[in-house]
Amino acid sequence: MRWPYIWRTIGALIVCIGLSLTIPSLYALVARDPSANTLFQSALTALLSGLLLFFLFRRHQVAVLSHREGMAIVSIGWLLAGLIGALPFYFYNISISFADAFFESVSGFTTTGASILTDIEAVPRGLLLWRSLTHWLGGMGIIVLSLAILPFIGVGGMQLYKAEVPGPIPDKLRPRIRDTAKDLWIVYLLFSLIETLLLVLGGMDLFESLCHTFGTMATGGFSTRNASIGHYQSVYIESVITIFMFLAGINFSLHYLLITEKKASILWKDPELRFYTLITFLFIGICTISIYGDLYDNPAYAFRYAAFQVVSILTTTGYATADFELWPSLPHIVLLLSMFLGASAGSTGGGIKCMRIILLMKQAYREILYLIHPKMISPIKFGGKVVSDEVMRSVLGFFLIYIGVFLAASMIMAALNLDLVTSMAAVAACIGNIGPGIGTVGPSENYAHLPDMAKWVLSACMLLGRLEIYTVIVLFIPEFWKK
Amino acid sequence: MRIIIVGAGEVGFHIAQRLALEHKEVVVIDKRQEALKRFIDLLDVKTIHGSGSNPRILEDSGLKGAETFLAVTDSDEINLVACLFANAISPGILKLARIRDVDYSRHWSDLVQQHLAIHTIINPEIEVVKTISKSLELPGVEHVSDFAEGRIKLIGLHIAGTSPVIGVRLQDLRTKTANLRFILAAIFRGDRLIVPAGRDRIQKGDFAYFVCGAHDLENVLDVFGRRKEPIRNVLIVGGGNIGFRLAESLEHRNYHVRMIEIDRMRCEFLAEHLQRTIVLHGDGTDQNLLQEENIQEMDVAISLMGNEESNVLASLLAKSLGTKRTITRINKFHYIPILDTIGLDQIVSPRLSAINSILLHVRKGKVLSTVSLKGDQAEVLEAVALETSGIVDKPLKDMHFPKDAILLAILREDEYIIPNGDTVVRSGDRVIILSTRQNIPRIEKELMVTFEYF
Repeated sequence: MRWPYIWRTIGALIVCIGLSLTIPSLYALVARDPSANTLFQSALTALLSGLLLFFLFRRHQVAVLSHREGMAIVSIGWLLAGLIGALPFYFYNISISFADAFFESVSGFTTTGASILTDIEAVPRGLLLWRSLTHWLGGMGIIVLSLAILPFIGVGGMQLYKAEVPGPIPDKLRPRIRDTAKDLWIVYLLFSLIETLLLVLGGMDLFESLCHTFGTMATGGFSTRNASIGHYQSVYIESVITIFMFLAGINFSLHYLLITEKKASILWKDPELRFYTLITFLFIGICTISIYGDLYDNPAYAFRYAAFQVVSILTTTGYATADFELWPSLPHIVLLLSMFLGASAGSTGGGIKCMRIILLMKQAYREILYLIHPKMISPIKFGGKVVSDEVMRSVLGFFLIYIGVFLAASMIMAALNLDLVTSMAAVAACIGNIGPGIGTVGPSENYAHLPDMAKWVLSACMLLGRLEIYTVIVLFIPEFWKK
Repeated sequence: MRIIIVGAGEVGFHIAQRLALEHKEVVVIDKRQEALKRFIDLLDVKTIHGSGSNPRILEDSGLKGAETFLAVTDSDEINLVACLFANAISPGILKLARIRDVDYSRHWSDLVQQHLAIHTIINPEIEVVKTISKSLELPGVEHVSDFAEGRIKLIGLHIAGTSPVIGVRLQDLRTKTANLRFILAAIFRGDRLIVPAGRDRIQKGDFAYFVCGAHDLENVLDVFGRRKEPIRNVLIVGGGNIGFRLAESLEHRNYHVRMIEIDRMRCEFLAEHLQRTIVLHGDGTDQNLLQEENIQEMDVAISLMGNEESNVLASLLAKSLGTKRTITRINKFHYIPILDTIGLDQIVSPRLSAINSILLHVRKGKVLSTVSLKGDQAEVLEAVALETSGIVDKPLKDMHFPKDAILLAILREDEYIIPNGDTVVRSGDRVIILSTRQNIPRIEKELMVTFEYF
């Protein structure tokens, strides 16, 4: 481990975050928002500490970055991003504990969208903008962003990229990692622009359109309203957001290929996208049927609310237009399942990811086939290509650790005197980067009432979930630190 | 600039590494997933798993927008077929193929060039044979490359303990040998590359590269105090393709050649096809055989077997038994850094030769030839200074040359100039430049025609 180089790169990352903090600062300054001072203070703190780190170690260059160093940079970088993102919340309001501020900031960067703010509408707009901006930055990835804009991170870019955007099967759009990162951000930016425009056309004001776009494209879920999207009571806004949540849950490489090659066949040929679409419609169907009748007597209404809630949870966004807390238990199970499933690999969404689920199901099916034909040779194929055993092993390992972390964190929650449903749902919602859970952390409530200890544990879960576990968890293995 | 490389072997890896460092878009295609893993882990390139001779894979690789196509697998046939499809998919793309069988080269113009439209074929074995025979002509010298059709030479040699230049500051060296025109290009001390400045001193054991005109060569070599015995007796260990071809060319030039080959059948083939060479059947690492053949009388022992561990052993053994000089064929580049330490003086590598010739064609601007120095840390390239490029018509001291690059020599018509700060490059001059590998893109940019770069 060459620490000087690691700190240098992290320094550059912090400068990036400091620069992004100046955006809400300037907004607050122009809009004469009460949060301007705290935002400027935080931006300055970030810029100074980032530059200090960078210049202290500026002479350190390496030719090739190792896997370990890549993972260390990404994990520590994300942790520090969480800390710096927490500064505005902490500086502004003395009544917020640091655990709260950190939780809010990590929830932003990891695109979780779980909040400890009880009255969002009372929070100054500058802070709200920062909250939503953390979503947008974290959605496509702060590392990917810095790869795209900072020329000197080019060295070992692939190691960093793999640590931040793990995915079961590595995917490189262009030969050079810098171009890949740029293209992904351009697609991301393009979709964001279109969505903002559509929301403004729907009558939402520009500030709120922007915040909600950030929340949607990053599959985050921070809103500027206490009642989330439900506040607007508009079919148009709900449909726009539903569609864009769904799009954000698709692998961005596919979007890129669709735009550059202009062949729709790319979309339906992709097995993951087919699975993702199928699951979405299946879950919407189940929910519509089970909530039709008792809760909503109009099937169109049932469909409208079911569709929004299912897409929101499945893509791990976490916006709400209805309190699904009040729904019967079948939709609860469906939603809980969606929390684990998550969106596609390479999207901004979290969860286990559809691709891994497909591979796991194929693996299970293969085991059954082996019982019938013990001599059969059947490699697992994905989209016509054989998936190597190495990938299968890592997918199985990922699934096991994911469930393991979920169970362990749920036990800690329960030990902190939370009820069974809340404990499990809170952990599932945080590790999957969704936001609202079920029980006392449901869509109409928030995480403010949890003890500080629970907030720290959940923050850790969010980071684990966003960086797909391996990147973070290796830091806790003694073997990693051995020379 | 996108470059497609078929074949993720050692040659492919090193070309990809160089080009990726020069910020080019590189796509590598290979059938072997494990071979590609090394690329993914170490280089910023895109890899595609599949056969390079498969047209669908070639299409997917983005061949359409690419500028150069390199087929460098170990199989001549795959390389040819890959070039065939590449030509069909993207006509006019620059294609280079690594072809080892000479019979293909014989039909070069009609078959290869016309029907497959391959621009250049690179035969690493022939390149190696050329390198070896060139360096045998100059005893005491371990590296020779020609620039400007042989009028300017780049020489690399170890500074022996008896050399008169040890401890001399470079600026004094110049005054001491005022009438001799040469320039010190680079010094390797251990593993470290030193781009020399006036205050550096030459030390014992350094490996020094210098550039001088062909007719000054003998005098310059005297300054460095090299040994002078001419080479007559050559022992070649390993009678493979390279060994056979080398023996053939040495025979013609009146060397006494002995060759050891382990395979009986091969020995018979060699004996049949070689006229004056003494072909011995046996193991090159067999001490008794070497002693029996009077190894201590040999001027040079050249190990050219297929297995590099055997080559290293054979050379070390020959050296310990009294051979004055050894040349060792090495394929794995990982070994290069340690060879100095274990006492092998000169190595040749078909792959390194292939890489050099391929890079020459990939470079932009009017680059005529490139030679990479020991351990691949630096490169010397020859280029034509175009009228519109950034280097002409101003004194050297005003040029924006990177720190670790030197303009070594200028060739104007038939005269060569060792430049100083006031020298002005004119358009049409040929310039010879040394640069560390990291600075190659900047040098390339300087040499490029400026209006292409606004």
